[in-house]
Amino acid sequence: MTPAGAGPAGPTEPPAATPVGSLAARQAELVAALVADGPPPPGFAPGPLAAARAALLRKRAGEVARHWPLLAAGLGPAWPTAFSEWAAGRPGGGGFRDGWDLARALRTRAALPPLGAEELAVREAEFRYDGHRAPRRRRSPALGRAGGAIAVQVAGRVRLLRPARP
Amino acid sequence: MTAPHGVGIGWRPEIAGFVAELPGLRFVEVIAESVPTAGPPPDDLVELRERGVTVVPHGVRLSLGGAEPVDPARVAHLAAVAQLLAAPLVSEHIAFVRAGGLEAGHLLPLPRTHEAVDAVCANIARAQADLPVPIALEPIAALFDWPDDELDEAAFLNEILERTGALLLLDVANVYANARNRGTDPVALLDRLPLERVAYLHVAGGAERGGFYHDTHTDPIGREVLELLTELCARHRPPAALLERDGHYPAAAELRTELDAVAVACGFPVVT
Repeated sequence: MTPAGAGPAGPTEPPAATPVGSLAARQAELVAALVADGPPPPGFAPGPLAAARAALLRKRAGEVARHWPLLAAGLGPAWPTAFSEWAAGRPGGGGFRDGWDLARALRTRAALPPLGAEELAVREAEFRYDGHRAPRRRRSPALGRAGGAIAVQVAGRVRLLRPARP
Repeated sequence: MTAPHGVGIGWRPEIAGFVAELPGLRFVEVIAESVPTAGPPPDDLVELRERGVTVVPHGVRLSLGGAEPVDPARVAHLAAVAQLLAAPLVSEHIAFVRAGGLEAGHLLPLPRTHEAVDAVCANIARAQADLPVPIALEPIAALFDWPDDELDEAAFLNEILERTGALLLLDVANVYANARNRGTDPVALLDRLPLERVAYLHVAGGAERGGFYHDTHTDPIGREVLELLTELCARHRPPAALLERDGHYPAAAELRTELDAVAVACGFPVVT
């Protein structure tokens, strides 16, 4: 968890006496600072902003865990940290895609727990996902593999053929 | 279709079984964005409706406080859910959730400026034009304020309610959270809000983390929030109060105890 006041380190611009820019521009600047590692907007107190950034990450972690329960369960107590480290500064794409991207990233680093690998294998068999656009349900039979786990999908029904390597 | 009354609970798929078995329940809320409008509504909600339980669609992603015009497709979805569930009203937040092409992932506060009041009122008017039922607006819990606030919270909210004619969805936990984090008096805010315009109340639990009180919806309701609820209802009791729980669901007995505590604080009949 990010403690209060643990905002970005280093010097920042002095607060502007009169904030400039339209409401739209200032809202965009604020959201970028909260979710995409944008510079802190002038005049905002850094402590509360850091608390809000951490709260948004926790909220996202909860949403991802709802879509990827086995991935979260597989990581156990490491889940909040694993998610926050991956997600910090990376804008959200919704719980379903965020979890998918995180599972693939963990697989690349050989850090995907067996439960998460099985969940990923099932999803890869069910959906076509290019990492950029929303996943689409596969129409033709497919295999999904991750961490030794193999899932097969035929006519929309998915079965795990082989569990992941422990 | 009956307006919300008595003690309600936020319907979530994870606790659908628990909610279905509450004998005295007359009112639930459902997250509007989670209801598909292509087919029939989820069976659990249909069953509640058939029992005469009022279902209020609660939007979380309209972004009424965004500087850009509210997305007509999102308003159309909210309107369709209201119709599907024969809802007497819908609710949304005084907040924005996206800007500059990025999703924040949660509700963010507006600057309390005249420019922001104009923007949010314009969006509320756009939504009202396309909604089949009235809208109730919920002030959010904010962890930070903008540096250029021109209005205090009560003046900001009253201006928006007056200009839009909207109802108020007052979240007692949000009032508590904001007052605690800003070091202000929550009761002083209640004294300046039009309690007679409250369609229903929200109540939820929170937790202290890193020096801030967070409105988590995953913790039990604290004593201070229940006391504030009692205080509010002693001044002017709104027609209904709804418990929000969004994860880390406790055992059924604990959830029943919370619902009973809300009933006692308001002086409503228990629903458990």
